[in-house]
Amino acid sequence: MKKGLNYIITLLLLVVVAYNSVYFKKLSEVKAAGKSKQFNATAYAQDYLNGKLPSALDKALDVNRLTALLKADPETGFQKYSHALGIGNIRFFLVKGQGEIAKIEEDATTLLVQQDTARQLIRIATEYVFGNAVRDASGLININEFDNTMDFNGVSAEVNKIIREKVLPPFKKEAKKGDEVIFTGAIELNQAHLKLDNIEVVPVTLQLVKKSQ
Amino acid sequence: MEAIIPVKNGQSVKKYSHVLVRFQSLIALFILCVAISLLSDKFLTVTNTWNVMRQISVNICISVGMTLVVLTAGIDLSVGSVLALCGAITAGLLKNGIEIPSNNLFIGFTLLGAIVAGLLIGALLGLFNGWAITRWKVPPFVATLAMLTIARGFTMLWTGGYPISSLGSGFDYIGTGWLLGIPVPVWISGIVVAAAIVLTKKTRLGRYVYAIGGNEQAAKLSGIRINKIKMAVYTTAGALAAIGGIMVTSRLDSAQPNAGITYELDAIAAVVIGGTSLSGGRGSILGTVLGAVIIGVLNNGLVLLNVSPFWQQVVKGGVILLAVIIDKANTKTE
Repeated sequence: MKKGLNYIITLLLLVVVAYNSVYFKKLSEVKAAGKSKQFNATAYAQDYLNGKLPSALDKALDVNRLTALLKADPETGFQKYSHALGIGNIRFFLVKGQGEIAKIEEDATTLLVQQDTARQLIRIATEYVFGNAVRDASGLININEFDNTMDFNGVSAEVNKIIREKVLPPFKKEAKKGDEVIFTGAIELNQAHLKLDNIEVVPVTLQLVKKSQ
Repeated sequence: MEAIIPVKNGQSVKKYSHVLVRFQSLIALFILCVAISLLSDKFLTVTNTWNVMRQISVNICISVGMTLVVLTAGIDLSVGSVLALCGAITAGLLKNGIEIPSNNLFIGFTLLGAIVAGLLIGALLGLFNGWAITRWKVPPFVATLAMLTIARGFTMLWTGGYPISSLGSGFDYIGTGWLLGIPVPVWISGIVVAAAIVLTKKTRLGRYVYAIGGNEQAAKLSGIRINKIKMAVYTTAGALAAIGGIMVTSRLDSAQPNAGITYELDAIAAVVIGGTSLSGGRGSILGTVLGAVIIGVLNNGLVLLNVSPFWQQVVKGGVILLAVIIDKANTKTE
């Protein structure tokens, strides 16, 4: 009798669990609903580059001023001007500046950036644009806005793709040694092992000022 | 080791040495905590303490299962892979359900359904381990080593080698939520520990587990159904690995195909440091919990002290070796 009761209770429990465990739908309906919900990384990246980022770039620090500040007081420099998602040592800065093309290589263009008495060589990446520098340097994109990390990473991929396809080709076509370049972009620096002698900018805008002009 | 040193009032320190041996793990943990807190001011903080507790919850779950297995003089090397597979299956069912295009049918899984499915798979894989060990007399080391690669292979097949992420707000509560001021994983591991203590101390099954590990032949002759008990033990270990897998997946909000790699070693280390004999029949769940806490504190301390991950492995291995040597020395003296 007791054994039978145990079986009945177990069976009831199994039925309740099973009933609350699965549900059935038409596959076509599920797929249609999934398509409308898909995140559009391209549209998001375009909105970021054309809508949100320009105002942040206006406020970006001149690259020579930034390096001077980081040499004098790295803690303040990082605290005030850098952004990053995690708690690691890699931090991103938005920068702007103007310089003369000193060297053109396959993957980068080196500029001699001069302001007041400060002079330094800055590399502008012109081939391999990857990573999260442009996405994260502004601090304007919040990871919590995204449903998943793949969508979030997709924004970086699209931002970099737009830069590769829209920003770099006209610049690479026209740039000559000795031309002046006005640039904005993002840089990545390691807070724990700070190296300022080989700064590479991932460009967001590149404007050539021809010497003849 | 016992030391009989005569003292002025005629008493000996023999009884103190007994106390030392009995509480050696606790003393080691205390010394470890004092040393790390002296070297890092971030160690003894509320946030870090909860962080350590949260981290060790997974190891406690799989170590409890491992303790039961080791008490029967067995070993389960598959727990890390089983953990990964069960986490991946739970995540996959929760996120993608099952599609049957030929019938235009989608079978969706609720949170409960996905968790139950993950636990069932863990239990089934454990049962398979037990079956191979008892029915085909495959040594536990070999049977579970085979399961280690089988389960890892299935994990890769199920996930396609990619993480399954974004599993919904309800699911992440298991790994990241709080209940009555205590992290949910700590509650889960606490319940697992309490159930295992009751099982080992208060039930017939628990006594049989010790009996099998102590002397399998004698246990058999006294009428214990050894195969049945062993299968139950390996099934439990599989189910507990599944619980660990669900917790890891929930905490990361992502099922990683390479999750749980070397977790079996951490579990064995916790069992050994906790004083459970690898030859079976001797040990306790509380000892294992203490072992898991020691490993967790050690891991956390080494990270806080900025020790290279390579050195961390060396130190961890050294601690395990030391624990076994001390255990052997104690057994000899007894």
